Amino acid sequence: MISFKNVSCTFEGGAGIENATFDIEPGEFVCIIGPTGAGKTTFLKLIYMDIFPEEGTVGVDKYRSDKIKKRSIPMLRRRVGMVFQDFELLKDRSVFDNIAIPLHVQGVGMKMVKDEVENVLERLGISDRRDHLPSQLSGGEQQIVSLARALVKDPLVILADEPTGNLDPAASLKVIELLEEINRDGTAVLMATHNFSLVKDRGYRFMQIVDGEVQT
Amino acid sequence: MIDRFLYLVSEGIRSLWRTKTTALATISAIGIAASFVVFSAVVGENISGIIQIARGQYEFQVFFSKDVDNIRAAELVDQIGAIEGIMSASLITKEEAADIFQREFGENIFDLLEENPLPPGSVLKLRQPKDGRIDVNPIIKQIELVEGVDEVRYQERLISLIERYYEGFFAAVTALAAAILFGTVILISNTIRLSIYARRDLIRILKLVGATDRFVRFPFMIEGILEGFFGSLVAAAVSYGFVEGSNYFLSLFTQYRLVWQFQIVALLVGVIVFFSFVGSMRAVRKFL
Repeated sequence: MISFKNVSCTFEGGAGIENATFDIEPGEFVCIIGPTGAGKTTFLKLIYMDIFPEEGTVGVDKYRSDKIKKRSIPMLRRRVGMVFQDFELLKDRSVFDNIAIPLHVQGVGMKMVKDEVENVLERLGISDRRDHLPSQLSGGEQQIVSLARALVKDPLVILADEPTGNLDPAASLKVIELLEEINRDGTAVLMATHNFSLVKDRGYRFMQIVDGEVQT
Repeated sequence: MIDRFLYLVSEGIRSLWRTKTTALATISAIGIAASFVVFSAVVGENISGIIQIARGQYEFQVFFSKDVDNIRAAELVDQIGAIEGIMSASLITKEEAADIFQREFGENIFDLLEENPLPPGSVLKLRQPKDGRIDVNPIIKQIELVEGVDEVRYQERLISLIERYYEGFFAAVTALAAAILFGTVILISNTIRLSIYARRDLIRILKLVGATDRFVRFPFMIEGILEGFFGSLVAAAVSYGFVEGSNYFLSLFTQYRLVWQFQIVALLVGVIVFFSFVGSMRAVRKFL
């Protein structure tokens, strides 16, 4: 599903990935660990093709970084759910509207948008927050909304970039448990974190970035 | 497809409401800038109207020789009326000339001189070209060449003054309007760019969830068109108020009224809306 073949990429600050080769299969839960600045975010950016490798090829589903056309990048991103440390929610829209955006982007009909968003709200236990603005939610709730927005489009994989970075321990645990639940239902999860203690005993596959080398 | 289209249109309209402070500032900026354009067009149009009225007053008086009788005078009037550039030529018979004399001087010419020495003549009106200046000299020369014409009188200084500055005036007004329009386009473009810059996060998030460039652009396009439309409506209203206010004061001492031409203002509204649309598209492209 995701494959890195001899990928090298230098990113801001001089650090980089050197000659990384590995595969991630559907339904896996993979944790990318490494200190701040090691390149975890850039690693994820390579997957959703916000940046491209200088050498080698990144493959996601049927898309390959060396062949993809600019107009196909949105199609790739519709297959990938993304969750960010700072939530990246639209502050002037309700929870419902934030979660609905990926469906509108895909041209889903209004009735189905309503049904799908209601489903995911219920699944993640935030139905009572549907009309709230992000500013009216706690950090943990905002991250769950972000997770709902990623999940609503039924992605192949969820990329979570430090999803617990701004959360207290209880909220962090809640988000991790939700990611595990989503993973149990068949969606692959690729989570970047520097908080090893939070994830170390949970049975994930770990990848570590050390001096540009991706150790799997 | 229709759902997506409706969603995008509603997003464009709703985003005006969501960003109402920015939208209000943008509409005000467009309104002020567009007011200068509309105002210059209204002023230009009205000055043009005044000049046309003045040109409509051009009158030539032709005096025939003393030996020309009324019958010959009528033939001469027909001959002069056929000259290129003359719209109408009316005959003034010897008797009518005597009546005019009595009206202007209060004396009967027969009582004074026991005969009527006044020659017959003609009053001419010139045809106004749709654009460009009127050159009266060739017309005067042709009239003077007609046998039986003694003298041609006209407001030479006034006509030459108006005609000399006519084309220059319109060139200046056009250049000024073009300069103001150019400045307005830049201002509109920058104002919209600032308002879009404030929402670059929205564009980034839409891109992250898989929006195409077209999907991102569409609501901004709707927003730009609406802002341009409302801004130019402000300008139209301001210019209308100016014209109506001026007409109120003019009515106190003259019958002349300023004109507010709907077609010209509508055209300018269209131009402003177009440039707002283009400004939005250019500004969004920077963040795609």
